[in-house]
Amino acid sequence: MAGARVSSVVAALVFLAGCGSTTQSTTPKTITGTLTFASFNPFTGPDASFGPEMAAGCIPAANTINQAGGVLGHQVQCVAVDTRGDPADAVPAAQKMIATTDNLMGMNGPSSDEALATIPIINRAGIPMFGDTGQAAFDQSTYKYFYRLTPPDDAAGVAMAVYAYRKGYRRAAAVFGNDLSSQGNVPNLLSAFKKLGGTIVVNQTLTLDQSSYRTEVTSLIAANPDVIFTEADPQTDAAYLSQLQQLHGLIPIVGTQPTVQPPWSKAVGGAIGKDNLAKYFAGAQPYSASQGPAWQVYNTALLAAKSAVPQPDQWSQDPYTETDYDAIVMMALAMLEAKTPDPTFFNKFIPAVVGNAAGATEVHSYKEGLDAIAAGKTINYVGAGGPISFDQYQNSTGAFELVGYASNGSNPQLDIVSAADIAKER
Amino acid sequence: MQFYISTLLIYLFIDIMGVLGLNLQFGVAGIINFAYIVFIAVGAYTAAVVSLGPDYPGNFQHYVFGASWPFPLPILAGGAAAAVLSLVVGVISLRRLRSDYQAMVMLVLSLIATLVASNATGLVNGPAGLATIPQPLYDQLGLSPLDYQWAYAGWAAFLTVVVFLFVQGITRSPLGRTLRAMRDNERAASALGKGVTALRLMVFVVGGFIAGVSGAVFVEFIQAWSPGSWLYPETFVFLAAILVGGAGNNWGAMVGTLLVPVGFLEATRYLPAIFYQGFIEAMQWVCVGLLILLFLWFRPNGLFPEQPGRFRRRPLITGGSTRVPAVPVAPPAPVD
Amino acid sequence: MQQLIPAVGFGLITASILAIAAVGFTLQFSVTNILNLAYGDIMTACAFAAYIANQAGVNIWISLVVAALFGAVFSMLINRFVYFGFVRRGTKLFGMIIVTIAVSLIIQNLLLAIFRPTFFSYHASAGASYHLGSMVFTASQLAIMAIAVVAMLLIHVLLTQTKLGKAMRATATNPGLARSCGIATDQVIDVAWLISGALCGVAGVAVVLNTATFSETTGAGFLVPIIAAAVLGGIGQPYGAMLGALTIGIAGEVAAALINPSYKDVIAFLILIVVLLVRPQGILSEIAAAKEVTA
Repeated sequence: MAGARVSSVVAALVFLAGCGSTTQSTTPKTITGTLTFASFNPFTGPDASFGPEMAAGCIPAANTINQAGGVLGHQVQCVAVDTRGDPADAVPAAQKMIATTDNLMGMNGPSSDEALATIPIINRAGIPMFGDTGQAAFDQSTYKYFYRLTPPDDAAGVAMAVYAYRKGYRRAAAVFGNDLSSQGNVPNLLSAFKKLGGTIVVNQTLTLDQSSYRTEVTSLIAANPDVIFTEADPQTDAAYLSQLQQLHGLIPIVGTQPTVQPPWSKAVGGAIGKDNLAKYFAGAQPYSASQGPAWQVYNTALLAAKSAVPQPDQWSQDPYTETDYDAIVMMALAMLEAKTPDPTFFNKFIPAVVGNAAGATEVHSYKEGLDAIAAGKTINYVGAGGPISFDQYQNSTGAFELVGYASNGSNPQLDIVSAADIAKER
Repeated sequence: MQFYISTLLIYLFIDIMGVLGLNLQFGVAGIINFAYIVFIAVGAYTAAVVSLGPDYPGNFQHYVFGASWPFPLPILAGGAAAAVLSLVVGVISLRRLRSDYQAMVMLVLSLIATLVASNATGLVNGPAGLATIPQPLYDQLGLSPLDYQWAYAGWAAFLTVVVFLFVQGITRSPLGRTLRAMRDNERAASALGKGVTALRLMVFVVGGFIAGVSGAVFVEFIQAWSPGSWLYPETFVFLAAILVGGAGNNWGAMVGTLLVPVGFLEATRYLPAIFYQGFIEAMQWVCVGLLILLFLWFRPNGLFPEQPGRFRRRPLITGGSTRVPAVPVAPPAPVD
Repeated sequence: MQQLIPAVGFGLITASILAIAAVGFTLQFSVTNILNLAYGDIMTACAFAAYIANQAGVNIWISLVVAALFGAVFSMLINRFVYFGFVRRGTKLFGMIIVTIAVSLIIQNLLLAIFRPTFFSYHASAGASYHLGSMVFTASQLAIMAIAVVAMLLIHVLLTQTKLGKAMRATATNPGLARSCGIATDQVIDVAWLISGALCGVAGVAVVLNTATFSETTGAGFLVPIIAAAVLGGIGQPYGAMLGALTIGIAGEVAAALINPSYKDVIAFLILIVVLLVRPQGILSEIAAAKEVTA
């Protein structure tokens, strides 16, 4: 009796399965109404700061596009999708986003927290995505719809090592939190520094959010390093560095990209004093000139969006926000080239709107690109985050810059490590 | 759209399995297990580790063991591993202890498990967790991705029905009566000659096995698993489902699962983001807390209370006493 | 090996914060018999209260008093509006734990919703550093230690010398009998929550002075070590709570120095489990040894 009931349930579901077949179309879909770009990233959980950073890139881009008249007669809008920072929650979030978002044409994200689980799903749905994950697994990605404008985590580690070596430090301490994004930097950092001729005198992995790291600090002091490489969440690093300050006094600190971000500088600056942060800190981030015509357009739009983006000036020089902005603009330009907003069709035009094609007209904003395409020219979009050129894996990597901290909250540039230097030590 | 619905269905079935296991432990047998999510996680990790293949030096993730067992062995392995862990934990920590201390012990075990899994990087790849776990029979079946998802939903449904029949069978049997007797009045049950400790351990292990199976099925679907997916508050989502649906009642448990983990938590994805993105998610947990309080206050037996027996049953959670009996004070020593 | 002495010193710092919190916890637990798992989140809420005062320009030590007052009132209100009702209904002990966990979820996420996921610091200077052999302490750490000792002494005096204290001990041991003797147990319970809430507030600020930054989850991280200290020392015994705090604080730092720093917190967890399983009444107390009545 029970068996019959079971098998009929299974039979019903298999029958339903047969109803869901996909068709491959050869002509673009007709799309009406506003186009949507998603920011698919954690907005809650331990990496809750990633989401707003990404949304701050999409909103100015959508504004510049709409002000120029939209794309092919459509207005565009941004939508935020919270992955909550772990794969189990990100998968249904991705499915829901794909299923229920009207006219989803492209997105920024995912981040390292959920990339491995969600990129296959999004790729299969045919939505172009610009990920902000630095995981090495995507250095040679074969996902057709996945692009990366920011360098991988291991490149950041190498840049830090090169900078520290240039400054004359030879004895380094590595102090990294035990979480995923922090640990991604460590292996290349250590091997690059050793390859250059430095020594790693102590390598510590911190359990996050403990109240006392004094024992770890004591072993660090005993090893007598002249520089600390670090990344950990703001509370952990704040506790660690303030306890180092109490027990010994600070030494130069070189951090990864998350340490340049406002939450980290706010927490650590509050803990050790902003003047000390300015004196001792340098952080590595993907190089973006934060100047030039494209950046001007971006920054103007960003600051003008302050009703939707709280405290927009905190993202003015953030390379991740800049590249998220660029991604939206690139997708819109690709739609113009493909003459359709259908992602299946404009996806292959994305690499074509960047890269140094000979004789191409350099454009710095959506409006310029729109005008150039209307005039029949081939364009080369140079972004707010700098020039973009994709390799065969649809990754565009570049140089790194080291920035410091000024008490007004800005990040003055200290040094640049070029892509060639990084490649040499990897 | 069909992808989304099939995903929701799969999540529903997996959650139902999990809740049924906890209902067996807690609702029927009265075992307080605030570490339930750990057993689900162990099932998931085990199934992952035996399907990923052996670890090798250049791998982007590191883990112990490593094998490529064919379907359905990883699921059985997941259930078995969780059952073994339940045995160990049960032997050590299920004792005649005041119930809130018992709860504390389990809660702390959950915290330790998270700490160990996050820090021991060679064990299950630490905080990054495991990924690229192969979906069972994907290549062999050769279905389109959507068809495969529907088939997977069918498979999860099948397993859920099996688990339900099994748990319902236990609940209705003489064994179930003994368990309920043990839950309601341990001393009396023991006085009647029922081997209380052994029974309790057995139910704990069976519940653990079910948890492990649900975790294994889960991980084989989403193909990734990390410590962020099984923090200790997740056990309370299951507990809320049982409280809402009705402890000890398996149908009620299923309704509770539909309402709480799936209905309530999914529905909030549709709310527009007010104030700032992330506000709704924070308020969601506030609502889970309020839900627990409201149900404990107004309907401590849940929406579908246990079938009434011949004698009116005292509710499981209220109906006792917050006071421990007074400590007997030794009479003063006689003065010579 | 030379790391051992400094580790003991660091353990003393952690222990002093744990002690303040554990003394409050043990007092409340002994009188009300409720294992309040929302204690850590109340600490966080008090830390935020002090933050608000501090941002308005108030000196951190006075903000500490603000936090204590806030904690006292907040705890008492939670008892009056939430816990007391469930106790009246005869909720079983683990049912009360579920209630406290629900309250903890609510408080923590309300704080998150109000203050957003970012980090906060106080305007407070640590003061000069003092060296005691190879141990190093700052002025504010020494102040916290002094507060811990004073708190413990005050509670001890309260419990043994005053009428209120005797009423509390009577309520803790046998509330029915206490009521029959004419003790207003409801008011005694209110006072117990007030005092433990005040200590909770002080501990919350002390935690933040120690970690330099905080967010909505900071207090919850201390919950298990506090409970471990209170249970280890014996419920209802302020000296026991101090003893438990010292043990856990120093054991944690010494284990970090000798074994692996990542597992510092695990020491507190393991101690708690072992104590609960092996000797639930702790070192000094007789209360809580009895098992629950199910009939």
